Amino acid sequence: MSVRHAILGLLAEGPLHGYELRSAYENELVPQSRLNAGQVYATLDRLLRDGLVHHEVVAQNDRPDKKVFALTAQGRDELGRWLGHASKVDLDLRNETFLKLMVARRLPEGDWRGVIALERRGAFERLHQATQARARADRDATPLSITLLLDLAVLKLEGLLEWLDRCEEALGKETP
Amino acid sequence: MTTTGTRTTAIALHGVHKVFGESSTRVEALAGIDLDVGAGEFVAIMGPSGSGKSTLLHLIGGLDVATSGTVAVGGEDLASLNDDQLTMLRRRKIGFVFQAYNLVSVLTAIENVALPLIIDGIAESRANERAGRALDLVGLGSRPDHRPGEMSGGEQQRIAIARSLVAEPVLLLADEPTGNLDSVTGDQTMRLLRRLVDEEGQTVIMVTHDARDAAMADRIVRLRDGRIVEEQTLPPVKSGADVLASLEGLDAPEDAP
Ligand SMILES: Nc1ncnc2c1ncn2[C@@H]1O[C@H](COP(=O)(O)OP(=O)(O)O)[C@@H](O)[C@H]1O
Ligand SMILES: [Mg+2]
Repeated sequence: MSVRHAILGLLAEGPLHGYELRSAYENELVPQSRLNAGQVYATLDRLLRDGLVHHEVVAQNDRPDKKVFALTAQGRDELGRWLGHASKVDLDLRNETFLKLMVARRLPEGDWRGVIALERRGAFERLHQATQARARADRDATPLSITLLLDLAVLKLEGLLEWLDRCEEALGKETP
Repeated sequence: MTTTGTRTTAIALHGVHKVFGESSTRVEALAGIDLDVGAGEFVAIMGPSGSGKSTLLHLIGGLDVATSGTVAVGGEDLASLNDDQLTMLRRRKIGFVFQAYNLVSVLTAIENVALPLIIDGIAESRANERAGRALDLVGLGSRPDHRPGEMSGGEQQRIAIARSLVAEPVLLLADEPTGNLDSVTGDQTMRLLRRLVDEEGQTVIMVTHDARDAAMADRIVRLRDGRIVEEQTLPPVKSGADVLASLEGLDAPEDAP
């Protein structure tokens, strides 16, 4: 339920308009992500229904009144509860690469080496982009949220490549 | 130098074999290698332990000779050179960086860097001037008088890189250059190599078993049992924001109602 709690987190800093919420999410919280407007308003509706946020109408002189959303005490509690619990990490263990290897290994004509080679190429292409973007992030004034995401991308891709080496070694022993 | 298309070829290997030992101890470390590397290219050589990576690097660097096939560096066939000419080639055209920094502990940073030039008979003042520039290039221009023992592993490796560059070689050969470094100083070393390629047009051939290091190169060559089993040319790098956008997994998941 990450969007729901992300919205509670943004509102904990102060009341925001729906549009401001969306742009804070996309530009500050989770850079280079997209959150569609429908999703923001649907989530806000549910948060209103559950009593976690309420809206306030702010009068503006030269423009129509602005409807802003703010956290309720209950919403603040829910945010605290979320932050205080370990996340369920999605390790994506039974991923597509694994599945392809298991299938290829069983088929008489199954080319598991070919599968590994293809997956490795894809991972290296992305790691090439990620390591150099990460290097550039240190030279330029890049927001911390972006550098941390690049770090995570680099480490995950490295892990995937290391795992592919293990697969190659183990499958090679099975069918030399 | 030979030219293929518009790009100058820095090294060219054709049908290279390398055999160690005889009969029962015979090992074919390289079993027919064909490899061209263009000037200004950054190539990573990967492969399991014992696949022939170091042997390949030694042949390219003229530290050992091929059993058969040709190895040409800057258009010169190494087999056609006598010992003195080979020594000159190693000294003036090729820079080496190893996992061990191989610095002289009683010499200062700048003295270590200037050493290859001094050995080559270049006057001390001129050698120091060039060593100073090489130290600037690796970001250690402000610490010329420190001895290796007073510097971190990463800094020592950067001195070793400066030393390998001081003769302005056409080719830089690196064998597991981050092997002794932690991940932060390892990254710094790799970024330095990348910058030398991008900004100085340096040609680099690097052996590594580290995927993160290899991903900094323009091309990855994979060896198995002395043969090239895979080659991958990596696409040019996009801008930072575009990279993030292209790495999936950032869009918000739909929440359950
Ligand atoms: N000087 C040598 N004498 C005998 N065998 C060697 C020598 N150098 C390397 N080899 C053998 O050649 C093969 C390739 O070695 P090497 O190039 O060091 O592999 P890598 O660097 O990929 O680990 C290995 O089987 C190794 O034992
Ligand atoms: Mg080796």
